[in-house]
Amino acid sequence: MKVYDGSQTESGEEAKPERLKVGIAEYEVTTDSAVLTTSGLGSCIGIALYDEPTGAAGLVHIMLPTAEDVEGGNRAKFADTGVTELVEALEAVGASAETMQAKIAGGSDMLDFSENGSSIGSRNLDQVRATLSEFDIPIAGEDVGGDHGRSLRLEADSGDLVVKSANTESVVL
Amino acid sequence: MPDVLIADDSEFMRNLLREILEEDHTIVGEVENGVEAVEVYKEQTPDLVMMDIVMPIRDGIEATSEIKDSNPNANVIMCTSVGQEEKMKEAVKAGADGYITKPFQKPSVMEAIEDVVPS
Amino acid sequence: MNVDIQSLGTFNQLAHEGAKQATQSLAQMTGIDAVVDVTKITLLDRADIGEDLAGRDFVGVQFEYEGVLEGDTVLVFDAESADTIADALMAGASDDPGMAQSAVKEIGNIMMSGFIDGWADYLDSTIDHSPPEYIEKSGAAVLPEAPETGDHRQVFVFKSEIEWVGESVNFYIYMLPEYEPLAEAMVESVDTEGDAIPIDKLQTFNEMTTKGTQQAADNVEMMTGIPTEAEVTQISFAPIEDVPKQIGTDTYVGTVVEFTGVPSGYLMVLFDEVSAVNVAEAMMPVEMDGDGLDDQHKAAIEELGNIMTSGFVDGWANVLQTSVDHTPPKLVHDMGRAIVDPLAAQVGQHQEHAFIIDSKMQTDDIEFSAEIHALPNEQELRAALDDLDVDRADETEADVEQIFE
Repeated sequence: MKVYDGSQTESGEEAKPERLKVGIAEYEVTTDSAVLTTSGLGSCIGIALYDEPTGAAGLVHIMLPTAEDVEGGNRAKFADTGVTELVEALEAVGASAETMQAKIAGGSDMLDFSENGSSIGSRNLDQVRATLSEFDIPIAGEDVGGDHGRSLRLEADSGDLVVKSANTESVVL
Repeated sequence: MPDVLIADDSEFMRNLLREILEEDHTIVGEVENGVEAVEVYKEQTPDLVMMDIVMPIRDGIEATSEIKDSNPNANVIMCTSVGQEEKMKEAVKAGADGYITKPFQKPSVMEAIEDVVPS
Repeated sequence: MNVDIQSLGTFNQLAHEGAKQATQSLAQMTGIDAVVDVTKITLLDRADIGEDLAGRDFVGVQFEYEGVLEGDTVLVFDAESADTIADALMAGASDDPGMAQSAVKEIGNIMMSGFIDGWADYLDSTIDHSPPEYIEKSGAAVLPEAPETGDHRQVFVFKSEIEWVGESVNFYIYMLPEYEPLAEAMVESVDTEGDAIPIDKLQTFNEMTTKGTQQAADNVEMMTGIPTEAEVTQISFAPIEDVPKQIGTDTYVGTVVEFTGVPSGYLMVLFDEVSAVNVAEAMMPVEMDGDGLDDQHKAAIEELGNIMTSGFVDGWANVLQTSVDHTPPKLVHDMGRAIVDPLAAQVGQHQEHAFIIDSKMQTDDIEFSAEIHALPNEQELRAALDDLDVDRADETEADVEQIFE
């Protein structure tokens, strides 16, 4: 049976790294230099974790701050449980939280109609930082806030996170 | 020529109204929200206010109500994209003298003004 | 007839799992790496089914099913990719048209069996299906006749899009169940009474929205002189995290408002960049120099969005004899998905699934199309449907003259 997991692709002749798409409230992990992408981050945040010693990398696309807001369901949807889920998935393939570095992008304040209180984008951001610091994972780069959308490409061979926006130049974190 | 104040948050719409009105009217001010509309009205007491409804800070219905409180003889025509019956009733209650729905054509604007401020 | 949100959620999940099952079968047989992109349940007018397939050729399989659910279902994909898919199944199959057809038929058969079986298992019953029939048609014609619905003018369609990773090939699974058996199955799977949505009123609401779209299109025509037709209006139901996927990754220009009252939620009016420039220039008295989108274009779009928004929601307010307020429009110019994302997140703070109301309009004269998407809060939508007096459904327009006499 063919498995989607990058480690088992039988393509010797293809030099191009495998591409894995990460949807909203989803995550992917790679140990063999796949390219992980996610698109359309508004107030959502993409958190890329890279573990240099093992070369393991992962990307999660979270939507809301905490799982407390809504009952049950998908852990990757929330900042707190989503980051935890990704850390655990990377540990399961041999990486260690002690050597992981994070890069984060998204959390824009665009289309925030709330007149009082902070936007979902900034609440997401606060929660991502808080959960990362619980794991003592440093943030090595970030492109957050503002009022525009972003798409991400995590190049797992280098740990580079390329951030694209509709109206500006790409940024490499 | 009658004095007119234009209150609309859309620059595009203010331009359009100005083009329609400036031939026969003196535009005494163009404002972007209900608070400014009330202020400029009180300073200038124009013969007519063309008032949008959906505007930031204070909407056109509240502003109309305040203008009418300060001067029951003020003439205010709502000029809005909102075509809801309940909103029209609210506008009547606030004292509006006429109601034009966007998008409008020049003749309907002139007709509404003629009804409210006969030349 | 009332159907609760949970059972709609369950049925959506079933369709999604079925599509995943089908996709796994495909991957096992061919090595084609594919993922299920979106699954949604849509309520729409029979005539509008498959509008988004227009202008493309498809091949695939169709079959009938009967049992606890009855109707037709198809699995189709772009005709150009048929050979690739046939060869992936069996090397050299594409050289022999008969063989290619048989390969497509077999893939379709296996994929769709996986899709149907999940439904039967969940409903603790059986669903039998006919042998697959190979089809090769253009546009919406590839879909089966929508079931006769008697009193119901609209039909439920389950649609899944499957994306072939790294290729520009999409598979589509459409399932068109007969209304009555579906409604019965939904009612039977109701767990709670509290959050029920009256399905029949949802149809009426959809028809009111169709009129709202026509009003918005008329407003565009008045402001621009461009004859504009309302095309499709539909209500879909999907998990909140799938909502942004309803809109593409292309860049859009448009406006967003929050509306409050009954119903409440968010409303977007979106133009692709070319349409935005075209429509804005049609609104301006003078010819513009240069190309691209400038501040004057944006000011025009902002006002057009405002007027289209009113045209769209006023009908709801007038039929419901209430008022629906909206904020001044916020101008957006960004990737479509990123525009929807914060709105979905805000709605998603209180609900797991969402209703999405989509309308499209376009014109043949110049390159111009516009989309309106509304994302109502579930609770207020339910309240609106409860309040909806079906007999007033035609009263979408207010009489200014009468009120100002």
